[in-house]
Amino acid sequence: MMQMTVVEAWIEGPLKRFVDDAGAELALLLHPSGQVLAQHGFARAVDVMSACALAAGIHASSAELGRQLDGKPFRGLHHVGRTRQIFLAEAQSPRGAYVFLTVFGPESSLGLVRLYFDELVTGLAAAAPPEAPAPGPALTEHFERDLNHNLAVLFGRV
Amino acid sequence: MSARPFASILDSLTRQRGVTAALVVSERDGIVVESNLQIGQSGDRVAALAASLYRKARLSAKAAGMGAVSFMQLEAPNGRLCAVGGGDLVLVVVAEPAVNVGLVRVELLRAVGELLAVGGEGWGGS
Repeated sequence: MMQMTVVEAWIEGPLKRFVDDAGAELALLLHPSGQVLAQHGFARAVDVMSACALAAGIHASSAELGRQLDGKPFRGLHHVGRTRQIFLAEAQSPRGAYVFLTVFGPESSLGLVRLYFDELVTGLAAAAPPEAPAPGPALTEHFERDLNHNLAVLFGRV
Repeated sequence: MSARPFASILDSLTRQRGVTAALVVSERDGIVVESNLQIGQSGDRVAALAASLYRKARLSAKAAGMGAVSFMQLEAPNGRLCAVGGGDLVLVVVAEPAVNVGLVRVELLRAVGELLAVGGEGWGGS
């Protein structure tokens, strides 16, 4: 059974509900900088690291494309593969914007994923600890250290 | 192509007494293609869940060797949900508990042919 792991405990409840309800195979919650916060379904830290980097890059590119085409950033992306589909979207929370990536198969659907993504965003907003300050911007000098720390937390090396 | 290609099908369904919503939904994606809804009804939510339910019913019937699903009905304390499939599309009706299900069923089955004709090959077949 694939395990869900989170860097911050308050994320686990809403994310678990999303995975269960939407039937997602993989799920990843990250900062727009590419720092991972939670994962479900990944077996290796290196895969999480690659997926985070790519998701952050796609999110930044599509947001900028949206700004240039439409005057505002695109917030969601859906790609259909032969057997599996990807949904990538921005999740706003009181602690700032996150990027959410999920992969789902034929047992689920885009409609279900969008439906439960909206509930995930609501759940994250409700679960976010109000007293904790939102994390500051990711700094180049700390990025690798923070990324390695988060990956170590997710994959049980701390 | 008309902006509302399924309007006549949906209008004929929502004209039935007790029918509160009618939707054409993509079975594979669970996304609304076109709908007649009342204010306050969540078309996206109904579409996603009804399409998922219909798809699972269709696959269950197939796995049990029962053949294709012709009509699916869900009965709940505050209403009924009926669905029929045509190609990759599902026609969904939300109705009050006291609706004449027989009439809705006849109307839905009649509408499937029209659904396939209007949807054409662009919507694929399953």
